[in-house]
Amino acid sequence: MKIRWVIVLFPVVSVVVLSLLVKEHAAKAAAPQKTGTAVSAPAGRTTSNSALAIPDTTLAINSDKPMSQRVVHYEIDAKYDAASHTVNASEVLTYHNLTGQALDHFPFHLYQNAFQPNSTFVREAKSAGNRDTSYDKWEAKEYGSEDINSIEVVEQGDLTPRLKFIQPDDGNKDDKTVVDLPLAKPIAAGEYVQFKISFQTKFPETQARSGWKRDFVLGGQWFPKVGVWWHGAWNCHQYHAMTEFFADFGVYDVKLTVPQSEVVGASGVKVGEVNNSDKTKTVAYHGDDIHDFAWTASSRFKVKEDGVFQGQMGPVQMRILMQPAHWSQVGRHEKILQESLEHFENWYGPYPYKTITLVDPEPDSAAGGMEYPTFITGDTSWFMPEGLHLPEVVVEHEFGHQYWYGMVATNEFEDAWMDEGINSYTEVKVLDSILGKRTSILNLAGATMGEREEQRLTYMGVADVDPIAQKAYDYYSYNSYGGITYGKTASVLLTLESIIGEDTMAKAMHIYFMKYRFTHPTKEDFLKTIEDVSGKNLRWYFDQAIYGSQVMDYRVLKIESFPVNWYEDKKGASKKDDKNTVYRSYVWLQRKGDFVMPVDVEIKFDNGEKIREHWDGVSRWTKFMYEKKAKVESAEIDPDQKIQIDRNDFNNSYTADGHGKPARKLANYWLFMTQWLGQALAWWAV
Amino acid sequence: MVEQQGFLSGGWDRVTRNKRYIVWFYVLNLALAWLGAAAFSNQLHDYLDHSLLSERLVHGFDVGVLIEMFVRPEFGPVHASHVAGMHFALIFLFATALFLPGVLQGYASTYHLPREDFFRACGRSLWRFIRLMLVAGVVMGVVAAALFGLHSVLEKKALESTHELLLFEVRVVDIIIIFLVMTALRIWFDLAETDIVLSDQRAVRRSIATGFRHMWQNLGRLVGSYVVTTIVAAIVLTAGLWAWMKLVPPASVLGAFFLSQFILFLLLIPRFWQRGVAVTYYLQNMVEPVVIQPVTPAPVAAPVVNEPSSAPVIPPPLEPQGA
Repeated sequence: MKIRWVIVLFPVVSVVVLSLLVKEHAAKAAAPQKTGTAVSAPAGRTTSNSALAIPDTTLAINSDKPMSQRVVHYEIDAKYDAASHTVNASEVLTYHNLTGQALDHFPFHLYQNAFQPNSTFVREAKSAGNRDTSYDKWEAKEYGSEDINSIEVVEQGDLTPRLKFIQPDDGNKDDKTVVDLPLAKPIAAGEYVQFKISFQTKFPETQARSGWKRDFVLGGQWFPKVGVWWHGAWNCHQYHAMTEFFADFGVYDVKLTVPQSEVVGASGVKVGEVNNSDKTKTVAYHGDDIHDFAWTASSRFKVKEDGVFQGQMGPVQMRILMQPAHWSQVGRHEKILQESLEHFENWYGPYPYKTITLVDPEPDSAAGGMEYPTFITGDTSWFMPEGLHLPEVVVEHEFGHQYWYGMVATNEFEDAWMDEGINSYTEVKVLDSILGKRTSILNLAGATMGEREEQRLTYMGVADVDPIAQKAYDYYSYNSYGGITYGKTASVLLTLESIIGEDTMAKAMHIYFMKYRFTHPTKEDFLKTIEDVSGKNLRWYFDQAIYGSQVMDYRVLKIESFPVNWYEDKKGASKKDDKNTVYRSYVWLQRKGDFVMPVDVEIKFDNGEKIREHWDGVSRWTKFMYEKKAKVESAEIDPDQKIQIDRNDFNNSYTADGHGKPARKLANYWLFMTQWLGQALAWWAV
Repeated sequence: MVEQQGFLSGGWDRVTRNKRYIVWFYVLNLALAWLGAAAFSNQLHDYLDHSLLSERLVHGFDVGVLIEMFVRPEFGPVHASHVAGMHFALIFLFATALFLPGVLQGYASTYHLPREDFFRACGRSLWRFIRLMLVAGVVMGVVAAALFGLHSVLEKKALESTHELLLFEVRVVDIIIIFLVMTALRIWFDLAETDIVLSDQRAVRRSIATGFRHMWQNLGRLVGSYVVTTIVAAIVLTAGLWAWMKLVPPASVLGAFFLSQFILFLLLIPRFWQRGVAVTYYLQNMVEPVVIQPVTPAPVAAPVVNEPSSAPVIPPPLEPQGA
C-alpha cells in the first residue's frame, strides 16, 4: 500500500514541482531587469549543453513577452583597441533550429572581409560604382578584416579546421565574406546548437557605414553572423557593393571594453558599466527581438538623453549623440526623431523598443545615414540653414528603417526595394506631412524642393535599365540600384495611391506592418496584402511597375481649334460675332512609353469651361473632339499630379498660347550670371 | 602740379568726373551677355512656353522642376549654351583690355577727353596691353597655382583634425591670404598699365619694373585702397542679392531684371574706382617731374605799316605732362 502511494505520488509531485519551477523562471525573465552600474552576466538562461535555450527576456522592449520568433542568442565580449582599430572578442552563439529539418552545416557572414582589394565588394564597387569610394587607388587604411581564430561547437568540439570560405553568388575565390562550417553531427529539428567563437575584426577607415574615422568608430557588421534559413535553404550571400544585410531575430548581450574617455552608443539598452584598472571601461548592452547589433564610440560626443517619447506600448528613450560642432542642431534632430516616431506609430504601428539611439557621425566619414536595430546615424555639417532639411531627411529615413528592415525584416540582398524602397515611400509621406509637400527637402531663399520630386528624379535617369524586383547585386550600376530601389519604388507606390486611393494604401501599409513585423516577408507577401486590402487585381500594374522595366511617358501631342465654318468669308466680322463662332477643337494624346496605364485628362477652354476625360492608354494615341463656342486653351494629362512615374512631366500638358514668363525668368538668371562672369574675368585678368 | 590727395578720394573723383565710361562698359557688358545668353533663352522658350508645369518656376522657384528640365534629353544639351556664355564673357574681357587705355587717359585728363584721343590711346596701347596681359597671366597663374597648392596641403592637414571648424577656418584664412596676394599682383599690373598709357611707354618691361617697384614701396596704402573698394563690391553684391530675394516677388520677371541690372551696374564701379586709384597714384608718385620754363615772349618789333595790326598772340601756358 505504502509503495503504491509512493509510485502514484512521485510523478504527481514531480509534475507540480517542475510546473512551479518553469512558472517561476518565466516570471523572472518577464520581470524588468535592473540597469545597475555593474556589468551583468548575459541575461536569460543559457548554456548547459543539455539545456540550451534562447532567452525570453523583455528588458529592451515595452512588452511582457517576446515579439519575435527568436532564433539566435549572441553573447559577445569584445575589446576595442582604438590605436589599431581592431576588436578582439569572444562570441557565444546559441541557435535554435526551427527549420523543421536537421542542419548539418552553418554558413557565417564575415562582412569586414569585404574591404580587401580582391573581394567581390571592391571588384563590384570599382566597376559599377559605390556610395563611398570608387577605389581609384588602393590605400592601406581601406583594409578591413574579420578572422575567426577558433570555433567550437558545444558537444562537438573544436571545428576550426573545418571552416571553409564559400562564394555562393559569384564564385570569386578571393572573396572571404562567407565561411561555411560543416558540423560533426547534424542538429535535429527543434534542437539547439551553441557555437563558441574567438575572432578578431580590423575596421577600415569608414566604408559602407562601418569603420573608423579619426578617433571615431562605428562598429557595424563586425562579428561573425550566422545566415538565415529561408525557403528551405541557407540564405547567406556574399557582401556585395550594392547589398545590405539579412539576419534572424533574437537576443543580443554584448559587452564592449573601450578606453574610459569614450562615449559609447549601441543597439538595445545599456545594462551596466564598470571602469577597469587599465584605464578602460566595459559597457554592457542587451537587445531583444533584434537581428543585428551596432555600436559607436568617440570621446567627443555630446549626449542628449533626456528626451522621452510616449509610445503606444510605453516610453521610448531618445538618446542623441552629437558632434560638438553640431550641438546647436540637437533640437532639430530630436524634433524630427520625435515627429517620425509619432507618424510611424499613428500610421503603421507601434514602436516596441525602449530606446532609439541617434548618432551624428564624424564629419567627412562614410558613416552617415545608416540603420541598425534601435540605432541609426544621421548626417549633417556645422553649417546647416534651417531651410535646408537634409538632417531631417536623413534622420526620418533611417528611423523609418526601424520598421522597414528592423521589424519587417525583408531580405536586403534579394529584395532591396522592400526596405529601401518602401522606406522611401513612407519617407515621402511622413516628410510631406511634417515639412510640406513641395518644401520637405528645401525651403530656402524662395527656392523649394520636395522629397517626392527628389525620389522621382533619382529614378528618371535610370528608368529603363533595371526592374525593381531583382537581386540588389544584379543591378547594372550603383546609380541604377539607387534610382530603382529607392526612387522608382517610392514613385511606383505613390502612383499606386492614384489607383486604389490614398486611404486604402495607408490601410494596406498598416496591415502589412502589423502582419509581417518580426518576420521575413517576400515581395508577394507585400503585393498580395495591397491587393487584398484594396480588393483589386493589380497584377497589370505590378507586372509592369515591379517586375518589369517598362517606362511611362504620356504626352499631349497637339491641340487645335478652328471655326466649324472656316470656309466662310469672315472679313468684317465683329468681335461680338467672334464670341458666337462655333469652334471645332481637337486634343491628341500620345503614349510614348511602353507602360500602359489609364489616365485622366483635363481640357480647358477659353471661356473657363473644363472637361475631364479618361483614356485607357492602350492604343498609342487617342483624340478627343469638341464643338463649342470656345477654343481649347490647354490640355493636361494627370491634372491632379498623382502619377509619379511618368518620365517627362513637361509634355503632360500643352497650352495653345505660349506663356514666356518661366523662360524669361530663367533667362534673366542666366544673363545675370553671364554678365557677372564677364565682370569677374575682367576684374582679375586686365 | 597735381594736388596731393588720398588715393581713394582721388580715384573716386576721377570716376565721378568720367561716369560715361562706366555707362558704356555696362552697355557693352549687357549687350555681350545678352548675345551670350540668347541661345539658352531660345532653348528655354522652346521647352517651357507651352507646358503648365513650367508655371511652378514662376510662382516660387521649384528646384525639382528646374532639375527635371535640365536632365530631360528633349531639353537639349546645356553645354552649348554654357560655352556661348563663356565666350561672350571672354569677349567682354578683351573689350575691356581694348578700351581700358582710353579710360586711363580720360582719368588722367583734366578735361573731357575727346573721342579721338580716347580711341588714339586705345589703339596706341593695344599691343602693349596684350603683351602685359600675357606677362600678368603667367605671373598671376604661377602665384595662384602655388597658393592654391599650398591651400590644398593645408586643407588635407585640417581634415585630419578632430576640430571640425578648423577646415572652414583654414579656408577662410587661405582665401583672405590668396585674395591679398592676388590683389597686390593686380595693383602691380594696374600701375604698369597706367604707366604704359600715360607715359606712352613702348617698352612694356620697363612699365612692369616700374609698376612692381611702386607697388612694393607703397604696398600698404595701395592694398588698403584696393581692399576697401573690393569690400564695397562685396557689400553691393550681398545687399543686391538680398534685395532680389526679399523685395522682388517671384513672379516679377521685369522687377528682377531691373534690379539685377542695377546690381551689375553698381558692381562695375569698384573696379573703375581702383583704376582711378592707380591713376591718382601714378600722377602723384610715378610721373617724372617736368620743370616748366617761363616762356618769354619774343620782342615784337613795332609796327611799321599803317594798317591796323592784330593783338600779339601769347601761347597758353603748358600743362605739366600727363596732367
